[in-house]
Amino acid sequence: MTVSIYLAIPLMLLLGLVETAVLPHFPILGTTPQLAFLVALAWGLLYGVEEGAVWAFFAGVFTDLFSISPVGVSSLAFMVAITAVIWTTQALPASRLLLPVALAGLATVISFIVELVLLRLFGTIADFQSIILLPNILLLHILAILPIYWLLYFINRTVRPRRVQL
Amino acid sequence: MNLNDTQRRIRWTTVAILVGVSILLSVLDSTGNLDLLFGFMQDPLTAVAGWTSSQTDTLADALSGPRDLDEARAEIDALQTQLDALERENEELREIQGEWQILQDLFNRARQTPELRRQTANVIGYDTSPAVRSIIIDKGSDDGLRVGMPVESARGLIGRIFRTTQNSAQVILITDNASAIPVRLGTSRATGSLKGRGATGDLIVDWIDLKFQLELGEAVLTSGLGGDFPQDIVIGRVVQIDRNEAELFQQAIVQPATDFDTMEIVFVIIDFNPIDTSVFESPTEN
Repeated sequence: MTVSIYLAIPLMLLLGLVETAVLPHFPILGTTPQLAFLVALAWGLLYGVEEGAVWAFFAGVFTDLFSISPVGVSSLAFMVAITAVIWTTQALPASRLLLPVALAGLATVISFIVELVLLRLFGTIADFQSIILLPNILLLHILAILPIYWLLYFINRTVRPRRVQL
Repeated sequence: MNLNDTQRRIRWTTVAILVGVSILLSVLDSTGNLDLLFGFMQDPLTAVAGWTSSQTDTLADALSGPRDLDEARAEIDALQTQLDALERENEELREIQGEWQILQDLFNRARQTPELRRQTANVIGYDTSPAVRSIIIDKGSDDGLRVGMPVESARGLIGRIFRTTQNSAQVILITDNASAIPVRLGTSRATGSLKGRGATGDLIVDWIDLKFQLELGEAVLTSGLGGDFPQDIVIGRVVQIDRNEAELFQQAIVQPATDFDTMEIVFVIIDFNPIDTSVFESPTEN
């Protein structure tokens, strides 16, 4: 995990910048995907709960740096969502196609709701009207998770070849 | 205890520590104890975000440009390199024309209310959270910006300063659903409270007395009540009226005058001092 932190920090910083300065110029369905969250989720699916939680933490910190929400709120929402969905993978059949899509959908819903509740607790939002954006974000995340997951999967296969027993 | 148990324990301990750190950060930030650290981290990042945003803006403009640009490109591909240079020159002129138009609008806006001093700022980023609506601008406390200052575009009010660092500031938009502004309607002179509706981008004026006959299309302006905003800054127009005689108040849906997705330059009104009305909120003992 130690090595992956050195990768997570600059990557999440870069994705935070992209989310605040680049993606808003190209909105899809009136919103933009949360790339840092999706990368953390894909990383967690490949490397397990611990790695996923660490990446989710940094994804949240760099997301909140460019937001008016208190720093830490997105971290908490991302970590809860990613930890929960990776934990459920133990009970689900392994699939490199359907599983990431289904878990991205589930994680997006959990993270969005947890974030709204936390923002309400901290007084940053007055009500839960933003939830009407959820279907659009959900669709975007479902479409975006596969390329991200497969990219990380192939990088993983290249960098860490699978052990074979002779 | 076997190896698996130890690994599981380490794993959940890590998650628990990170959750704890997140909660601690949230509490510290919402109580204002992270402002110094936040400013230290955000200043260099907003400089990078500003540069990235301006480059992306140029690219987005080019991609959404008029169709004759595509035709010109086709001709260039087919014919000669001389047209290539002309096209580039044409694009630059169009960009300059666009900037000139924005500046003219801003100048006209400033001329309408010369009593207010303004600081222009570029929009360099948008909020990364879909649940809240804010923007980041490239002017901060070093330029005289303070928390609470009203911010407007050439077309009308857009929000107020939420947080500042030395070289940047975050502006909470009036469309954020935590925003509430006292307003007056232009024709009927009715007053109410303008609230953001977050994701929809619409605004709603609540608490309008039923005695007022509202009209579609009438302007919505700041009333100045409460002392947070100057009077008579345009916000938008009424596009729908929800009136029910069985209720005590009516509502009006407002279309904002500003397109919040395409803002490039904004004004911060820097010489308006919000009036502290908190002394009237809690009566004294005697």
